[in-house]
Amino acid sequence: MKLRPQLNPLTQRQLARFRSLKRGYWSAVILLITIVLSIGAELLVNSRALIVSYEGNWFFPTYDKYLPGSTFGLGYEYETNFRELKVFFERQPSNSNWVIMPLVPYNAFEVDLPAGRYPPNAPSLSEKHYLGTDTTGRDVLARLVYGFRIAISFSLILLICNYTIGVALGCAMGFWGGAFDLFFQRIIEVWSNVPFLYVIMIIASVIIPNFWTLMIVMVIFGWMSMTWYMRTSTYKEKTRAYVLAARALGASNARVIFSHILPNSISIIVTFVPFAIAGGITSLTALDYLGFGLPPPTPSWGELLSQGTSQLESPWLVTSVVGAMVAILLMVTYVGEAVREAFDPKKFAYYE
Amino acid sequence: MTSYFIRRLLLVIPTFLGITVLVFAVTRVVPGGPIERAMNEALLAQTDSAVMIDMNSVAGAALSEDQLAELRAYYGFDKPWHESYVIWLGRVMQLDLGMSTRYTEPVWDIIKNRFPISIFYGIMTLILTYAVCIPLGIAKALRHNSVFDNATSAVVFFGYALPGYVVAIGLLTALASAWEWFPLGGFVSDNFDQLSTADQAIDILYHATLPLIAYLAGSFAVMTFMVKNSLMDNLSSDYVRTAIAKGMSFKRAVFRHALRNSLIPVATSFGQLISVIISGSFLIEKIFNIDGFGLLGFESLVERDYPVVMGILVISSLLFLVGNILSDICVAIVDPRVKFGENGS
Repeated sequence: MKLRPQLNPLTQRQLARFRSLKRGYWSAVILLITIVLSIGAELLVNSRALIVSYEGNWFFPTYDKYLPGSTFGLGYEYETNFRELKVFFERQPSNSNWVIMPLVPYNAFEVDLPAGRYPPNAPSLSEKHYLGTDTTGRDVLARLVYGFRIAISFSLILLICNYTIGVALGCAMGFWGGAFDLFFQRIIEVWSNVPFLYVIMIIASVIIPNFWTLMIVMVIFGWMSMTWYMRTSTYKEKTRAYVLAARALGASNARVIFSHILPNSISIIVTFVPFAIAGGITSLTALDYLGFGLPPPTPSWGELLSQGTSQLESPWLVTSVVGAMVAILLMVTYVGEAVREAFDPKKFAYYE
Repeated sequence: MTSYFIRRLLLVIPTFLGITVLVFAVTRVVPGGPIERAMNEALLAQTDSAVMIDMNSVAGAALSEDQLAELRAYYGFDKPWHESYVIWLGRVMQLDLGMSTRYTEPVWDIIKNRFPISIFYGIMTLILTYAVCIPLGIAKALRHNSVFDNATSAVVFFGYALPGYVVAIGLLTALASAWEWFPLGGFVSDNFDQLSTADQAIDILYHATLPLIAYLAGSFAVMTFMVKNSLMDNLSSDYVRTAIAKGMSFKRAVFRHALRNSLIPVATSFGQLISVIISGSFLIEKIFNIDGFGLLGFESLVERDYPVVMGILVISSLLFLVGNILSDICVAIVDPRVKFGENGS
C-alpha cells in the first residue's frame, strides 16, 4: 500500500520541471514563507508582548484579551504599554519579572511621537523603528508588514472569485455555445471596454469601500479575462478526439466536463495565476495610492506610497515601500515565468 | 472578408451604446454630483462656519426650491437617467459633447487642448519601443540561452514586473529628488516661452526623460518577447531548415525569410496607433504632474465633472473599438494567409 496519493505522471513531470527552474522555484519558496510569516505577523510585529512573566504567572498577550496596566502593577486601567513595562521591569533587577517583545515592538496603528521631534522620523535602531515612522508617527515596517498581509489576502481572494466565475462561465460558454455563448460574448465585450479603474473610482468615491465591498466591485469588473481563456480552451478541447471517444462511450455532459475537459484546461488556468496575483496587488495599491481604496487607517502600501511622494525629503518612506513592491512583484513574476515554462514548454530548435 | 469587417464595424455600435449606458447610469446613480456641489457652494457662501449637518435640510435654506429645479434642469438632472441619456446621445450624434460643469467651457475644447501632450508621449513611446524591442528581440533570439540573452531578460523582466507608477515613483525619488538630475515634473519649464527653439526641444526632452522611462518599462517586455518568440518559432520551422539545407547563408535565411514572418505579430498593435492622441496613464501623469489626458480624466472624475468624464469615454472607447478593427485589417494586409470570418473565428 502506498500512503502518498499518486499524482498523474504529467503533473509529476510538470512539478519536476518547475523545481528544476531554480529562480522561479526559490522565489516560490521565499514567497510562501513570507505569506506564512505574514499570517502570524502578530507574533513578529506587534506592540503587545509575546510573553510576560509577572510574579510567577505567565501571560501571552498577543492573542489574549485586553490586559489593563493594573494587571502588572502599573497604576492605570487602559491597556498595558508593554514597551514601557519592559523598561520598568528592567530597572528593578531584583524582581524576576521579565517581558519578551516581538522583533518590532510596534503595531500598525499606534502613533509614536518622541518628544521634541515631528514625524516622519528617520529609521533608528535604538528606537526599534527599523524603517522609520510615517507622517503621523506610525512605524513604517509594521505598516508594510500588515499592508502586505492585506494586499496578498485581497489578491488571493480576488483570484479565487474571478477564477470561479471565469472557469464556470467560460466552460459553459465553450461547451454549450450557441445563443448563450453569443449573449455572453457581447456582455464581455462591453464589460471589458468599460474603463475599469475609472468606474471603480466613481463607485469608491461614493461608498467609502471596505475590504469586501472593494472586493465585490473588483470582481464585477475582473471576471472577464479568465472567462475568455476558459471559453477558448473548452471550445478547443470539446472537438478533440478523446472527448468524442468519451461521448461515444456514453459519458454524460458532467463527466465530460469534469473528468475530461477541465483537467486538460488546468494548465492554462495555472499559468495565469501568478500574474493575476501580481495584478491584484498592483491595482489595490494603485487605488490606495489615489485614495480610492481601503479607508484609513488601514495599513496599505498605496497609502505609504502617496505619503512618500508628497514627502520626498523623507526618502525612507518611498524607499521602503518601493523596495517591498519590487521584491514581491519580482518574485511573483519569476514564479509566473517558471510556471509558464513548466506547464507550457516551448521547445525550440536553434542553430549553433 | 469585406463583409466580415463591415459586420465588425456594425458591432461597434451596440458595444459603444453598452459602454456609455453603463457609465452614464453609474454617474447618475451615485450621489455627490454637480447639484450637491452647487448646494455645497451656496451653503459655504452663506455661512462662513460651514458645519456639515444634514445636507438637504440646510441646503434647502441656502437654495430655494426654484433655484434647485433650475440647477437640475441646467445639469440635466431633472429627468430620469434613461431620458437624459437619450438626450445626451442625441447631442453626441451631433458632435456636441456638452459643457464642462467645472470650467463652463465646451468639453471638446478642453479635450482638444490636451492632444499635443498625449501625441508627444504616445509617439515617443511608440518609436522607442519599436526601435529598441525589435533589434533586441532579434539579438536575443539568435543568441538564445547565452549570457547576453539571460542578462537582458533579467533587465526587461524587472521592468515588466513593476507597474509603471512604481517605476515612476522610484525614478522621481532617486533621480529627481535625491540627485536632482532631472526636474520634478511638469511638461516644460516655466521660462519655456523665452527659450530658443533648440533649447525648447531640449527642455521638453529633459522633462520627458523620466516619464518616458516609466511608460516604456512595462511595454518593453511584451514586445521584446513577442519578437523573440516568434522569430524562434520561425527559425525552427521547415522552410528555414530547407533554405539552410540548400546552402543559403544563415544570415540571409534569418533576415530574408524568418524575420519577415516573425514581424507579423507586431502588426497586431498598428491599429491602436490611432489612440495615441489620447494616450497617457493618469497615475504617471499625476506623479510627474503632466497636464495630459490621463490627468484630465482623473481630475474630472474627482470633481464630478461628468460631461468631461463622458466625453473622454466617448472618444477613448470609439478609438479603441475602431483601433481593434484596424489592427485586424493591418494583419490581414501584412499576412495574406490570415482569413477573418471564414471559420467562425
